[in-house]
Amino acid sequence: MKFFGLYKNTQVFKIALIVAIVVIGYIASVFYTQMQKLDTSVELIASSNKTQYELEKLLSIMGNYEMSLRNYIITQNEVYLEDRFLNRGEIEACIKNLKKIAGNDSAKIKDIDSLKKLIDYRFKLFRDLLLIQKSPRKNTSELYIKLLESSSCTESMHAFVYKRINAEISKIKRYNTNHQFELNDSIISAFLLVLLSLLILLLSFNKMNVDINELKKTNDELKFTNLSFKNAEQIAGFGHWKYNLVKNTYTFSDNFYRLMGVEPRAFEPSLENVGKFLHPDDYNSVMEVHKQSLIDHQPTSIMLRYLLQDGTVKYIMSVGSFTRNSNGDLVKIGVNYDITAQYKKTLEIEESNKQLKTINAELESFNNIVSHDLQEPLRKIQMFVSRLEEKEIDLLTPNGKEYFVKIRLAANKMQTLLIDLLNYSRVAKGDKIFVKLNLKDLVEQCIQDLSVDIEEKKAEIEVMDLPEINGIGFQMEQLFVNLISNSLKYSKENIPPKISIKSEKISGKEMYNSKIISNTDYHKIVVSDNGIGFKQEYADKVFQLFKRLETDSKYTGTGIGLAICKKIMENHNGFIKVKSRPSVGTKFSLFFPK
Amino acid sequence: MRFYINYDVNIACRVILQEQLELLNIKYKLLPLGGFEISSTVSKEKFNALKENLGRYAINIVDNQRKHLFQQIKETIVEIIFDKDKFPNTNISYYLSEKFNLSYGHLASVFSEYTYTTIENFIIIQKIEKVKKLIIEEKLNMTEISYELNYSSVAHLSSQFKKVTGLTPTVFKRIVEKRKQLID
Amino acid sequence: MTNNLTPLQIFLADDDEDDRIFFSEAIEDIRMKNKLTLFNNGKDLMDYLLDSDASLPDILFLDLNMPYKNGLECLKEIRADNRFKDVSIAIYSTSSSEEDIENTFIEGANIYIKKPNDFSELKKVIKGVFQMNWQFHISGLNKETFFFSI
Repeated sequence: MKFFGLYKNTQVFKIALIVAIVVIGYIASVFYTQMQKLDTSVELIASSNKTQYELEKLLSIMGNYEMSLRNYIITQNEVYLEDRFLNRGEIEACIKNLKKIAGNDSAKIKDIDSLKKLIDYRFKLFRDLLLIQKSPRKNTSELYIKLLESSSCTESMHAFVYKRINAEISKIKRYNTNHQFELNDSIISAFLLVLLSLLILLLSFNKMNVDINELKKTNDELKFTNLSFKNAEQIAGFGHWKYNLVKNTYTFSDNFYRLMGVEPRAFEPSLENVGKFLHPDDYNSVMEVHKQSLIDHQPTSIMLRYLLQDGTVKYIMSVGSFTRNSNGDLVKIGVNYDITAQYKKTLEIEESNKQLKTINAELESFNNIVSHDLQEPLRKIQMFVSRLEEKEIDLLTPNGKEYFVKIRLAANKMQTLLIDLLNYSRVAKGDKIFVKLNLKDLVEQCIQDLSVDIEEKKAEIEVMDLPEINGIGFQMEQLFVNLISNSLKYSKENIPPKISIKSEKISGKEMYNSKIISNTDYHKIVVSDNGIGFKQEYADKVFQLFKRLETDSKYTGTGIGLAICKKIMENHNGFIKVKSRPSVGTKFSLFFPK
Repeated sequence: MRFYINYDVNIACRVILQEQLELLNIKYKLLPLGGFEISSTVSKEKFNALKENLGRYAINIVDNQRKHLFQQIKETIVEIIFDKDKFPNTNISYYLSEKFNLSYGHLASVFSEYTYTTIENFIIIQKIEKVKKLIIEEKLNMTEISYELNYSSVAHLSSQFKKVTGLTPTVFKRIVEKRKQLID
Repeated sequence: MTNNLTPLQIFLADDDEDDRIFFSEAIEDIRMKNKLTLFNNGKDLMDYLLDSDASLPDILFLDLNMPYKNGLECLKEIRADNRFKDVSIAIYSTSSSEEDIENTFIEGANIYIKKPNDFSELKKVIKGVFQMNWQFHISGLNKETFFFSI
């Protein structure tokens, strides 16, 4: 693994390659010197052989002379003497060759000189013998002495030559052994050289292969990325552009052109050409922003409009920022994206918001009419009713009295309805000033406010510890007053109501809008009673405006109270839930965000 | 710049009374509850001069016996409410009839003659008046105030406050603060 | 009630004729010594009050919703004039909004009455107001903190 890692590292590989080349160079130089040495030893052997050859040649020429002379002395035949000087030139040539081989070797030249003296002396003996033989007064004893002298001279010449030859032979032998060693060394060096070169070649090849594969892969990926980017630009409706501040050149992506409603590369990328597509009203400001940014190199973000050739207007968001490319040139890179759809949607939302506000204002004035202007004549009716009741009631027939009571009840009912409606609209619109509220104090206050009703019904109300919450004071009061009076109102006949208000832990199962509600996010407060209750299937209905479950006249109500409670909980970013069972009781759960 | 003064009406009145008596050289002895006794006989002219002088300070000499009794009942109530130590352990009606040695019914009828209201109601109004003062002073919280004025609980105090003023103590306090801001 | 008390001076400014009738009938019925003066709107009231010879009321009942000059404007003008510092001002309105109640008290009203829808209730309310005002009058209570909402 580690090796593989090193192998992949180009730097390490380069170093290894350099080392290998140095090693090869060294081995090659060693090989070269070995070859050089081999060359000299071959030369040495050759010169030895030549020396040997020349020496033996000399000996054989001298032998021939002796033989010819002997033959003449024995036969007295002049024929044997005919070519006696012929070979003198050959001896000279031999000596010359020997000297040439010996070169500058002074020992050898000395040897050759002494050999030449011997030969010269021998030739003198030949001449002396010949003179004695030819002389008329032939002295036989002198002849014999000279012959003996000649023989010993020949002997010593032979000895001398063979000594030289032997020396040369032993020298050759030595050279040969050396030569053999050097030859072996060279073979090993050469083998190593080949092996190493082969290894490096293989490694280089492999590495190159790997590199090329990787390059190819990267290239493919880059191509793919480019392609997906182009697709993405087209799908997302954005295009990008580059401006090289050093080279003063623009580059536009394909979709940059498409955003302007033209084919990719429809014109030369330049600021001027893009300017033709800018909405005339935006032209100056856009150009100014762009040009300013080229001076101060600050990022830009502007909204602009394209006026396309077909007359359509596109809303474009253009953002740009500065960076340096691989050459170190300062480049402004930007993205333009089409926000026409969003922009139009925003306009629509603004428009409908405006409409909503108008409707709300109308609704508010309607509520004012309902609450104040309608209450005014109603109050008059009630006043006159009470005046009549006080003064004139006795003048009516029993039937008339009955109708009169009904008029009063109807008027009173209408009054509560108007007050509830007013409360509802106040809760729906009201100022939402949140303050920290101690719920326990607040609930106690509500109980005080309802003390008349509570005493009348002989109700028992239990308030346990309640948390502090952030809330709108008067809305919280209204919430608890509504819930408590609801419990009082829908109590069982002849059974004193029992109402409990307490804080509860949220069990894991609590859900709202398919969201799990937990103790960390919400306070849960439960208001429960032992009243007449209702079927759970109506649970949603009780919170709807003007929806009443009980139509029995003994349960008076307007169907607004619980709708107000729901609204109040919504105003507090909380919610209300109800669980109820007929003739068992009802349990309202309030969830306040912490 | 705006300043407020703190004063004790009783002391102020008493000092003025003493000053005026001494100014006219009348020998006197001060009695509790705004009463005083003239030891020697005083001429009608001198007495009228005293009446006139005191009248300039809006201090009137009460010479009607029933009216005087009413004044005394009133002052007794104010005293026991504003001074915690004097608050009786027994109920107030018993305390009053003991103090004046008259039947409570008599006291009550004399009181109503001058006030359009009953002694009980007057006590409540006086107590709430004191509560208002304490709320504005901000030295005590509601629990301490309810203890100070012998209420059984804050809730009881709040509900009585609401009955008398139609406002909760919180709203009352808010109104006073905003009013102060408006005036400043 | 006895005759030991001086009659109360009562003013009422209300543009609604029926309400003026109800009010005067109710005040008659409670048999408290009083002298009632009626004004048909805020402007008439202010014209009268600003006449320096005018006798001042003990209690002034002000409707909020009136033409020419509404109750709140009258209230502000009256409270701006030190001459009227002893006048108790009672707002007499249909509105029961806490905002209106608080605002008028802040502007210097002493009493806030929501117009009742029952005649006997009206009598009770007026009586209660008279009694409360009398307490503040005779007991020298702090008028600055005289707030009574009924």
